[in-house]
Amino acid sequence: MSDPAKLKVVKQVDRPDILFSIARLPESTQLYVGSSDQRVYSFDAFDEKSKPQAFVGHRSYVSGLVLTDSGQLVSGGYDGRLIWWNRESRDQVRSLTAHQKWIRRVDVTPDGRTVVTVADDMVCRLWDAESGKLLRELRGHKPQTPHHFPSMLFCTGISSDGKLLATADKVGHIVVWEISSGKKLKELDAPKMYTWDPKQRIHSIGGIRSLAFSADSRLLAVGGIGQIGNIDHLGALARLEVFDWQKGERTHEFPGDKFKGLFERLIFHPQGKWLLGAGGDHNGFIKFIDLDSKKVIRQEKAPMHIHDLVVDENYNRIYAAGHGKVVVWEMDG
Amino acid sequence: MARRRGNGFCGSTEHLVNRRAFLGGTALATAGLASDMTSLDVLRTPALANQLRRRGKRVILLWLAGGASQLETWDPKPNRPTGGPFGAISTNLEGVRISELLPKMAQRLEHTAIIRSLNTKDGSHGSAARMMHLGRRDEPNVTYPDLGAVCARELGQADSKVPDYVSFYTATEGRGNALGQSGFLGARYMPMFLTTNTKPENLSRLETISDLDHRERMDLRALISQRFAAGRDSNTLDSHNEAYARVRGLMASEELFDVSGEPQWIRDRYGPSLFGRQALVARRLVEAGTPFVKVSRAWWDSHGQNFETHLELVSELDHVMSTLLDDLKSRGMLEDTLVITLAEFGRTPNINPSLGRDHFARAWSASLTGCGVKGGTVYGETDADGQHVKDGEIGAGELFATIYQALGIDHQHEYFVGARPLPLTNPGIEPVSEVLA
Repeated sequence: MSDPAKLKVVKQVDRPDILFSIARLPESTQLYVGSSDQRVYSFDAFDEKSKPQAFVGHRSYVSGLVLTDSGQLVSGGYDGRLIWWNRESRDQVRSLTAHQKWIRRVDVTPDGRTVVTVADDMVCRLWDAESGKLLRELRGHKPQTPHHFPSMLFCTGISSDGKLLATADKVGHIVVWEISSGKKLKELDAPKMYTWDPKQRIHSIGGIRSLAFSADSRLLAVGGIGQIGNIDHLGALARLEVFDWQKGERTHEFPGDKFKGLFERLIFHPQGKWLLGAGGDHNGFIKFIDLDSKKVIRQEKAPMHIHDLVVDENYNRIYAAGHGKVVVWEMDG
Repeated sequence: MARRRGNGFCGSTEHLVNRRAFLGGTALATAGLASDMTSLDVLRTPALANQLRRRGKRVILLWLAGGASQLETWDPKPNRPTGGPFGAISTNLEGVRISELLPKMAQRLEHTAIIRSLNTKDGSHGSAARMMHLGRRDEPNVTYPDLGAVCARELGQADSKVPDYVSFYTATEGRGNALGQSGFLGARYMPMFLTTNTKPENLSRLETISDLDHRERMDLRALISQRFAAGRDSNTLDSHNEAYARVRGLMASEELFDVSGEPQWIRDRYGPSLFGRQALVARRLVEAGTPFVKVSRAWWDSHGQNFETHLELVSELDHVMSTLLDDLKSRGMLEDTLVITLAEFGRTPNINPSLGRDHFARAWSASLTGCGVKGGTVYGETDADGQHVKDGEIGAGELFATIYQALGIDHQHEYFVGARPLPLTNPGIEPVSEVLA
């Protein structure tokens, strides 16, 4: 069970669009994906007859999708809107302007009761998943890069006990927050994730794109891309750093050895068997890392650049969404 | 050096008024009568009328090196598969929408003509950049002058104390594609090419040389050169000597490159970026009489992360360009200064797996603002996804003919290289009259 050595693709669904987000109905193969065509689609990954059903309401890319405790689907988009959906009727239950700029990620606490959003207005907002009420605003990231360009707040990570939240931005700055109080607990930096080219091209690229806490909340994994020579492309190896965040120490550094691009998603195995990461450049990759041995257990080319993924309850099956495809892997042989 | 028709070559009436004689001999008269030019008998002579119209015309070219995306600037396609995540916003022109990344320019389009229908058929940085500097391609035996050199020749003054053609290109990527080329006009019209900062290097007189020493060295060089040139007919020598003759004037222009001479509030308006500072220097130069300044902003070649790159670069362009236009307008200079945004090509409507856009020359955009332009115009149209030009297709030649006409330069004007007449644009090329005032 959950053995990366047995990893194999069991399903591939081609799509005409770019999929930026994915959610899965518990104990099922029913998927929800957020699309570049401004819609959310639902379909059963293994039912060939399942025609994707569209949820219409966003006005730009749908960048985040979560399911709440009460079973509502919540989507966020580059239009700054956060929309609660009735999954059955596909009607909007609630729609609000959550941010003034692109929502980059929508997350939910493990109890499904708090929805978390981050956006390029550099604010993290916490929302009551049931009522849609704004619970808290977290401000800890600078709106501009050191070179006077707009910064971007790309990602979040929530600890499995629901107490901690991490946010990270374009220049490699990370803030760990206590969710209950909104208190800033720690600030960290992973500056190699941000490339500023002062000479050849005079702009920047990169940023931290993924965060994940270990099951015991001690470690914080940070994913992105290393320093890029030619910033016309995602032309550096995907980069992963792990921090003992309370100590402020970097415990692991994986500069990459094979695949270029961004780590778009990170997930820790609950028993610490592996850390799963996925992402890509023009191509995609999926990678398993053993933090104890500090070694890559397995890494494979993915059929597409992966933007988001979820795993099933047993951590055996991986559902990934990305550029023009949904792919399902299994690891139980 | 090539000779224009009118320098004693073919006997046309245009010869009666050559440029130097005009600028010298008629300057006083024209200055006094310029307020009512229609009453001038001399305007019945087409050549003189053109020269009058050209006086004081200037160009600032914002060269978006590497290829800015038309979809994230002048020709957005919101809600289409190719449109990307940025929206389109209303402008101060009814029915015209541009990318939401240009909110400041969106309120300043009354002096701008947007051209959305360039099909230049070349998606290679090097050759496309050459073509978009020349308006055509060099021939095996003819090297053409670029836009800056032509403007320096046509709009500059022979005895000017400011440089005729200044080119900023600070980033290193693509710099080789954007070098100045004076072609058959000769080295006199090569640009002052600044690569390291906003100030030219080695322009100051060395402290170890007195002004008198410097003058005497100049005189000695001129004497030796004159003796050497005696009896020789050499374009290279002519060009060489013309360039040297302008050295002291250029040295006196050094302060134009120093923006510390500007009030702080003006510097603040242009912002902290290098592009902003260079745009401010460009304004200072054209204000002082430099006819052509190119400010290159590199590098837009966003094969990966196109939207993040354009969020940075278009936001900067929007701020710098709108500030520049406001500044020119407030000084009463915009009607005589043509501000151009141009690149070697645009970017693909299709979005690649790195969320990038690639090279695309089939349907892309440029803008012309100010001098000679019918403001508030959108010319040409691409199809719903921006894949093809649907209406008003033009190439580099038509764009250049339009630019020349906007500046009062006859695009069919001929130079002579030997006995061969060479018009400013290739035969059969016509300007886009719809965008001309």
